[in-house]
Amino acid sequence: MGRAAKFDAIVAGGGHNGLTAACYLARAGLRTLVVEKNDWLGGAAVSRELHEGWTYSNCSYVCSLLRPEVVRDLDLPRHGLQVIPYTGGTTFTRDGDYFAYHSDRHALEREIARLSPRDVEGYERFALAVMRQCRFIRPLLLRTPPDPVAPGPRDVAELVYLLRRFHDLGPRETGEAMRFWTASVGDYLDGFIEHPLIKAHLAGSGIIGTGLGVYSPGTAYVLLHHYMGEVDGAIGAWGFARGGMGAVSGALASAFRAAGGEIVTGAGVERILVENGRAVGVALDNGDEYRAPIVASGMDVKRTYLGHVEPQHLPTDFLAAVRRFKIRGSSGKINIALDAMPRFLAAPEGASFLSGDLHVSESLAELERAYDDWKAGRWSALPYLDMLIPSRIDPTMAPPGKHMMTLFVQYAPYDLARDGTRDPAHWDEAARRGFADAVFDRIEAVSPGFRDLILHAEVRTPVDLEREVGLTEGNIFQGELTFDQLLFNRPVPGYADYRSPVKGLYLVGSSAHPGGGVMAAPGANAAREILRDAGRRCRAERAFRAA
Amino acid sequence: MAFDSARNLSAVVIGAGLNGLTAAATLAGRGARVTVVEKGEGPGGLMTGAGTGELGQFVWNLHPDALSEFGVSPADLGLGPALPTVALSPDGRHVVIEGGAARFADGAAHPDAAAYRALRWRVARFAAVLAPLVRMAPPRLGVGLMNRAGLPELLGLARLGLDIRRLARDDRREFLRVILSNAADLVLDAMPDGPLAASLAFDAVLGSRTGPRAPGTVLTLIYRHLQGGERYRPEGGMAVLAGRLARAAEARGAAIRYGAEAAGLVVEGDRVRGLRLASGEVIGAGLVLSSLGALPTLRLAGATHFDAEACRRIRQVRAEGTAGRLDLCLSAMPRLEGLPATLHRARLLLAPSVAALEAAFDPVKYGAVPGAPAAEILIEPEGAGARLSAIVQHLPRAPDGGWTTEAREGVIGSVVAALAVHAPGLPDLVREARLTTPAEIEAATGAPGGHWHHAEFAADQLLTLRPVNGMARYATGLPGLWLCGAAAHPGGDVTGLPGRNAALAALGAGVRA
Repeated sequence: MGRAAKFDAIVAGGGHNGLTAACYLARAGLRTLVVEKNDWLGGAAVSRELHEGWTYSNCSYVCSLLRPEVVRDLDLPRHGLQVIPYTGGTTFTRDGDYFAYHSDRHALEREIARLSPRDVEGYERFALAVMRQCRFIRPLLLRTPPDPVAPGPRDVAELVYLLRRFHDLGPRETGEAMRFWTASVGDYLDGFIEHPLIKAHLAGSGIIGTGLGVYSPGTAYVLLHHYMGEVDGAIGAWGFARGGMGAVSGALASAFRAAGGEIVTGAGVERILVENGRAVGVALDNGDEYRAPIVASGMDVKRTYLGHVEPQHLPTDFLAAVRRFKIRGSSGKINIALDAMPRFLAAPEGASFLSGDLHVSESLAELERAYDDWKAGRWSALPYLDMLIPSRIDPTMAPPGKHMMTLFVQYAPYDLARDGTRDPAHWDEAARRGFADAVFDRIEAVSPGFRDLILHAEVRTPVDLEREVGLTEGNIFQGELTFDQLLFNRPVPGYADYRSPVKGLYLVGSSAHPGGGVMAAPGANAAREILRDAGRRCRAERAFRAA
Repeated sequence: MAFDSARNLSAVVIGAGLNGLTAAATLAGRGARVTVVEKGEGPGGLMTGAGTGELGQFVWNLHPDALSEFGVSPADLGLGPALPTVALSPDGRHVVIEGGAARFADGAAHPDAAAYRALRWRVARFAAVLAPLVRMAPPRLGVGLMNRAGLPELLGLARLGLDIRRLARDDRREFLRVILSNAADLVLDAMPDGPLAASLAFDAVLGSRTGPRAPGTVLTLIYRHLQGGERYRPEGGMAVLAGRLARAAEARGAAIRYGAEAAGLVVEGDRVRGLRLASGEVIGAGLVLSSLGALPTLRLAGATHFDAEACRRIRQVRAEGTAGRLDLCLSAMPRLEGLPATLHRARLLLAPSVAALEAAFDPVKYGAVPGAPAAEILIEPEGAGARLSAIVQHLPRAPDGGWTTEAREGVIGSVVAALAVHAPGLPDLVREARLTTPAEIEAATGAPGGHWHHAEFAADQLLTLRPVNGMARYATGLPGLWLCGAAAHPGGDVTGLPGRNAALAALGAGVRA
């Protein structure tokens, strides 16, 4: 067909970051188009009905990190976003014990004291320390990382800002911050808490989505990705988006359309068009072509630059850096339609904490073993599970009396090992069943009869995440969150400001600072940089016309 | 000069390991009256292993600044030429690394030789950047920099900044990217997995309780290459080297008392006044420098002299050694197939791949013994026969059921079996075998956990955080008591730097007080 329409900006990929960037661009007056390969929007923030009557949050499943600034700027509640906070959570053990996490401080203290009286004070110190780190990091999320190697004036100003913040921390707290950034979550928790079950409960958030174990240095930082969120101003709180995580994307899409934006779904970007070192548009896999001087990619850094830009437009050292980018998939997801609310042996019926995050775990050593399985190319025999039943507080997710369970599984490898070789193609039906069985067995042990409640289950391995969502190797953060890929190193050194070697081509997804999670920060930050460049170009054009 | 007033100082140094000796030589060389007390019967500490066998078999990191405190030059030490490294390969095509270049033992070119050389060079450039940092007390963070006392540090940091600037732009970016990254990715991004790749990854995990995939191991690798990364074997062994350095310290005026065990500090008016020995004797001194670990030092002083936060932090220092030592008495020099006779006395590495190194680490996390441990091996003729000694990684403190004869024979057997692939006659040559576990190393030397570095060499226990936040500048918080061992900045290995840096810090403060 070869349609060639002209826009001011094109966003490749209708994930939540792509939509966020698109919203800001459209509201700044740019004629903006979003193209999405799937027939639905949302990327990894989607709700889909795969079993009649049930809504699945297929990939991401809880909401907290979404930047309140973005929610406010884009007026997302008016566009239908409602976050229902949940309180509490539990870790069950095989022998019938459990640790219940309560948002209420006194209830939590009582629960910790039940298991280990000495840990009450330790937990208090832990919570304070983490909160201090949160306060330090949070303002950095919506700032563009400075380039410390070849700093321009804005980078210098940003570096001075960072130094001032460290200075304000004081020597002792700066030391603690350094420790927090470099320690493993296991070692960090060992410094505060004694009881293995409490540690196991708290450590889980340090490994979600990572290719690291609880004793790998750098995982304490990942804890922050769990603690620095908020719901309605309650810091550290988590919630469900009413109607599933697709509601986040839905609200963003609605805000985008309201600002005059246009969306094309069901047609993916085949090629980002580059002429004379400038991005000039995109060619879609259905043959359509759209042109715009700004192309923003919500795809991960590997897909964007290795898959959709012809290599002759990119410097070889940049390509080498992109190839080296670590994006190992480590997580699986199972969405389950349940015939009834499962009974957990340890929990009193109707316990409030059942509305929160549920886990089955024993100790840090067990979590570390789960990691070792993954390193060897196997799914974890005893995986870390993050189970939630949003239908308990969001009735839109399942028919009355029935329930929907969203089940996050750490670890599952992308290139499964079999007979001494590792290959994603090894994820056949038998392997997926084996993976799901390992998970269901774990749950069955603490909730007998669980299997009989399963009406339908959607099993998603890293390979499925790659195929459906487009996440390379199924990495949920679009790239590992290790220091060599954070801040000014994300996605690759020298390009942390969302720009690329191709003028007019930007990265707006989680491969960019500050990384993954339904945060909308990369999209918002990238839009700011895009508009800064666009403003400069407008000024230059005006000056040119005046002359 | 400030240091002149050191003449009125009397100091006691606890421990005659390399760092204790260096601290003593540094103090004595500036006129202080110094006594070194050592509970063992000879100098060397972990270096000589106090009867358990040498723990470091090679010298590669000895710092010229430390040597100059002894008034000796490297030529006086009998270090000889740099030893080649042989990375043993299961397929018999061993890789020889000599002078930073890699080739096959049969003389053929190695396909990854260029990549290896480029990576070695890059690591060397990064090491040059960090070089000023190990020669000074770790920088104070935040406010401390902005006063006159902080001026020398500010200059040191400025120098560090300049050195980073001196790197080419791409190197600078790469430096800031990999500095906290893991050795496995660094090496495997440059070359495919195999013995050559593993030889670098081995440097990154030697003596540490870590596998090459752990973030932060690149820092260890760079640290190991501060002096170029070449290995030397002192003539006569590490004991001879330790003896030479002890005599040099004595020549500087330090008195060394062997068989003298420290039993407690004498503290009056919140200040150290001396050291009490196990014999009951008290040595009066205004300065006490301890080359013991952080926790043994705290115990020596008594926890009452430290605030609760400091005590808690010190108790939480991770120091669990996982490097053991294996000694084999052989009736003759073994013959390794595929290796010329001249290379039999090289540094031999039993680490077939980076993945194997990681696999050799995993079991120790759960207190188990690896099926195929990694090892650094030295074979030397002894009498009519030979002695094979090896640093074996990673061994747990106590496997399930303890270190029974079977458990020991299991480790010995797996190392011998791995070597026997190349030296079929080896098992028949073994007359006597002995395994020294980390716990036994701790018992013999006093090193916390039997750990090479006295405190794990990991990013959250380095620099300003070594051994703990608030105690990184050698001062312990108890006036007069200083840390001068491997637990202090910059860390372990045979460098002498913690001892030298601590002595200089103590002298500076001693003068001000």
